[in-house]
Amino acid sequence: MSNILAIAHKELKAYFASPIAYIVIGFSSILFGWFFVNLLYYFNRLSLQAGAGMGGPEAVSVNDMLIGPLFLNVTVILLFTLPLVTMRIYSEEKRSGTIELLLTSPLTDVQIVLGKFLGAFVLYATMLAVTLVHMGFLFAFGNPEWRPVATSYLGMLLMGGCFLSLGLFVSSLTKNQIVAGMVTFAIFLMFWVINWIATFTGPTMQAVLNYLSITEHLNDFTKGVIDTKHLVYYVSFIVFSLFLTVRSVDSERWRG
Amino acid sequence: MIEVQHLTKRYGPFTAVDDVSFKVEPGEILGFLGPNGAGKTTTMRVLTGYMPPTGGKAIVAGFDVFEQPIEAKRRIGYLPETPPLYPDMTVRDYLTFVAKIKGVPRADRKARLDSVMERTRISDMATRHCGKLSKGYRQRVGLAQAILHNPDVLVLDEPTAGLDPKQIIQTRELIKELAGSHTIILSTHILPEVSQTCQRVVIINKGKVVAVDTPDNLTARIRGSETMYVQVDASGADAQGALSQVPGVRQIAVTETRGSVTGFEIDSEPGRDVRRELASAIVTRGWGLLELRPMRMSLEDVFLQLTTQDAAEPEVAHE
Repeated sequence: MSNILAIAHKELKAYFASPIAYIVIGFSSILFGWFFVNLLYYFNRLSLQAGAGMGGPEAVSVNDMLIGPLFLNVTVILLFTLPLVTMRIYSEEKRSGTIELLLTSPLTDVQIVLGKFLGAFVLYATMLAVTLVHMGFLFAFGNPEWRPVATSYLGMLLMGGCFLSLGLFVSSLTKNQIVAGMVTFAIFLMFWVINWIATFTGPTMQAVLNYLSITEHLNDFTKGVIDTKHLVYYVSFIVFSLFLTVRSVDSERWRG
Repeated sequence: MIEVQHLTKRYGPFTAVDDVSFKVEPGEILGFLGPNGAGKTTTMRVLTGYMPPTGGKAIVAGFDVFEQPIEAKRRIGYLPETPPLYPDMTVRDYLTFVAKIKGVPRADRKARLDSVMERTRISDMATRHCGKLSKGYRQRVGLAQAILHNPDVLVLDEPTAGLDPKQIIQTRELIKELAGSHTIILSTHILPEVSQTCQRVVIINKGKVVAVDTPDNLTARIRGSETMYVQVDASGADAQGALSQVPGVRQIAVTETRGSVTGFEIDSEPGRDVRRELASAIVTRGWGLLELRPMRMSLEDVFLQLTTQDAAEPEVAHE
């Protein structure tokens, strides 16, 4: 365990010693803010219409009309930023030769992979933590339900974990950061749009595509529902990606 | 302390290391010598557990590197060809990280770090980023990293590459100092380094061991005949005629002519010292004897001879 923490700590230090952490957190926060403001204006208009009795609903829920859609929109930000976080993880070590230090130290492959995943995950959690400020405003000036907010964050953490573990795996395949970044982005995007054609296919195919879609599973979380179906999807996605990474690191040794 | 048995490593159809076996006794410094691409780095990588061999095994401090990798790696310090530094970390942070993953107990970490930085002369760079260090400092931080957990075995891949002459001497001194309490394998293609620091040499070429011996034995063993260099103040033809008459001389060649001065390389029968006869042959004719010295075969010649022979038979001598 201390080995995993040592690696996670090193990874975090690497993010914060280079501009990566500040760029990723900074720009994600700006974009999040923009999405937030946009949805807030929209929500205000809806509320006014509802209050004026212009034929709309009696009252609008801040959870359903603002927080839920906000998190669903924000997945787009992750799509672009998380490949930037993960593309360096293994590629950089391979290119600079520091991988030799890790592989000749008394560490197991699993410890290395978990340490690296944990480091990236903490960075991502920090990025999410900044958005708590926006939630703070909603709680200060409105009366949202806190439970759906909490489950939304849980869902976001799990979904981010999927992206990160997948990115980690792709990074373990190549020395080239650009290649790692591009491939990761393409795969993320594929998982994001995979159910777009679902409505045009048969019922079986539709179910399969919807199940594969990484964002489809976030819906229930934003509504305050923790469904084991989604938990199983996210957790198994993460575990499987990490497993592939361990195998990839191991096979790399054999190939030399 | 280190035992390598029939080690073979193939990359696809290419055989990088072919049935290499050798042993290193505790406290010894073994030099690993070979031209570029001979398989030195590959052997070291297998030995340190970076990659598994295709065949054979490596035992370090009693642990098979592939059966018990964690135990073996605890006892190995490794300096790869390029020091494995993280450019964005300061030297102290970097060494702290290394201490953690090498299992140096928290309580000893600071003391260990300070003493190692002192020994490798990098204390003044403790707060500098690794990426901003000169080549010499990088190499020494790499060395500090290797000895940090006080391993039984040190594997150093070209430890003096890129250092200036003064640093090279300091590094060699440090390596010699470490030898008593550590067993060291170092690779190099700088030949004087081997004769100065190593007790034994393994010469490897095209993945095969061509010789294992002490530097002195190697130079002696390879010498088939004694060669003298003689410089005479006389006309070349006369002197050559006279000197070839000296008993014991087998071959004579003019290597240098400068005005009236001629230089010869003279091969004599092995084990026979012909210097006195040569000197008197020259002096009795009234010529000036300017120089007379035996030409010892340097390790360089040995190395070239061993590594350029095409069908070199692998021989393992004097274990």
